[in-house]
Amino acid sequence: MAEPFFQIKGLESGYGEIRVLWGVDLEVNRGEIVCLIGSNGAGKTTLLRTVSGLVKPAAGSVRIEGEELAGLECKDILSAGVAHVPEGRRLFRTMSVRDNLLMGAYLRRRDKSVDEDLERVMTMFPRLAERANQDAATLSGGEQQMCAIGRSIMSRPKLLMIDELSLGLAPRAVELLGESLVEINKAGVSILLVEQDVMTALDLAHRGYVLDRGRIVMAAPSEELREAPAVREAYIGAS
Amino acid sequence: MVPAAIEPTRYSMLYAQILLNGLVLGGLYACIAVGFSLVWGVLNVINILHGSFVVLGSYIAYFAYVHLGIHPFLSVILAGGALFALGYVVQAGLINRVVGAPVLTTLVLTFGLDLILNNGMIVAFTADYRTVQLAHPLGSTVVGGLVLPLDRLVAMLLACVLTVILYFVLVRSSIGRAIVAVRMDREAAALMGVNVKRIYAITFGLGALMAGAAGSLLSLIFPISPLNGSEFLGIAFIVCVLGGLGSISGAIVGGLALGAIQSFGALLIGPQHGLTIAFVLLIILLIFKPTGIMGRRGYE
Repeated sequence: MAEPFFQIKGLESGYGEIRVLWGVDLEVNRGEIVCLIGSNGAGKTTLLRTVSGLVKPAAGSVRIEGEELAGLECKDILSAGVAHVPEGRRLFRTMSVRDNLLMGAYLRRRDKSVDEDLERVMTMFPRLAERANQDAATLSGGEQQMCAIGRSIMSRPKLLMIDELSLGLAPRAVELLGESLVEINKAGVSILLVEQDVMTALDLAHRGYVLDRGRIVMAAPSEELREAPAVREAYIGAS
Repeated sequence: MVPAAIEPTRYSMLYAQILLNGLVLGGLYACIAVGFSLVWGVLNVINILHGSFVVLGSYIAYFAYVHLGIHPFLSVILAGGALFALGYVVQAGLINRVVGAPVLTTLVLTFGLDLILNNGMIVAFTADYRTVQLAHPLGSTVVGGLVLPLDRLVAMLLACVLTVILYFVLVRSSIGRAIVAVRMDREAAALMGVNVKRIYAITFGLGALMAGAAGSLLSLIFPISPLNGSEFLGIAFIVCVLGGLGSISGAIVGGLALGAIQSFGALLIGPQHGLTIAFVLLIILLIFKPTGIMGRRGYE
């Protein structure tokens, strides 16, 4: 059988002496939206940070199209096609929206294709076009998330990892962002979505994983997870 | 009757002249401080070496003039280039090893490096004061009753031009954006593919470049000696606190303010107390408005 598009195998990671992930296995197929759900402190953010190179893994492998990423520097992982939208958006204050978006294309040679992509992001998020010259810190929460997602697709990733798409945002903004994600996905970008809002995550994703205390405890298509009693009880609040 | 009519104009001319002198000095102060401020803002490193970098820039200009006949205005390129290389190597080879450590650690490191550089210069060049004696000075001219010292004025204008260039490099270039991005959020910058340690080295190099360029321009104005290093460092420090840390506009405002304060202070209580006033003001400002004139919060 062919190797999956993106594969995490036996990943162990943490901070200093504290182990957070205990042998995580996870796969994303080409063109898929996969969500990772789990309660606070389950290790979702640590997983993304380890994949993108901010945290060095203690063991295990991370591969995209067969290329090993575990232990590489952030820039090499980004070059390989994995982009990470961090929790809390983390836009660059004092820099304009346009400059924030251009930072996403930092590793690319500045040519026409960058300007075209900039144009594409502005078309996808007209609010960003209106505020292109404004300080990114003046954007609303939803607009900041648009900017953060736009910034990451400026690197032309194959896999987009998003940490907490909906955190602190109004339902309407989450809906808009969800539509944009589907659009980005249809353009050929696979997505790994980390969410605390389980309903939003399962609505968007084709498949889902449940992470609990650093271990994957369940993996299934979204419809199945939505009906699974354990998920309903623990994360949706219905029994 | 006549003296009474003349008096006010004479005084206003005097004040205008002093303000002019202060601003000319202040433009150079801004150029000294802007590199110091950049390094502090982006790296969170208080670079004690900065004053010695200025002095080294002056020596490069001095020897280039004495041995090669290169005018100090042109040596700006020479001194700036040499200091950039030195700064880059010092950061990449030494300071990057401890850059994440608390401020005290990096402070001690740059302090130690400063002892080495400063004493190295004393050994190499002696502590004697040297001056650049231009064969063809521009002299001075009188415009509307104000004396314009032309060499100083050109030096100040060049300092301003350099500062403005630095500003545009930071705002318009890809490297500049990366520097600002690293300052605002190091981790997010790394996620954009920025090699943070390389940006640190470039930033420190740019800070040293500005110091070297300022030193080259100052060689026309101040006597040159390694002993001046600490005074330049003090000036950079005061300008940053006056103007607010980490912004170029802050360094310009702080530099001009310090120049003017020093000039008027010298008039009021004697030239020997010019710096004293500046330091007293620094203390007052630290107590009542620690964010500086530009009011921006410092590094966080």
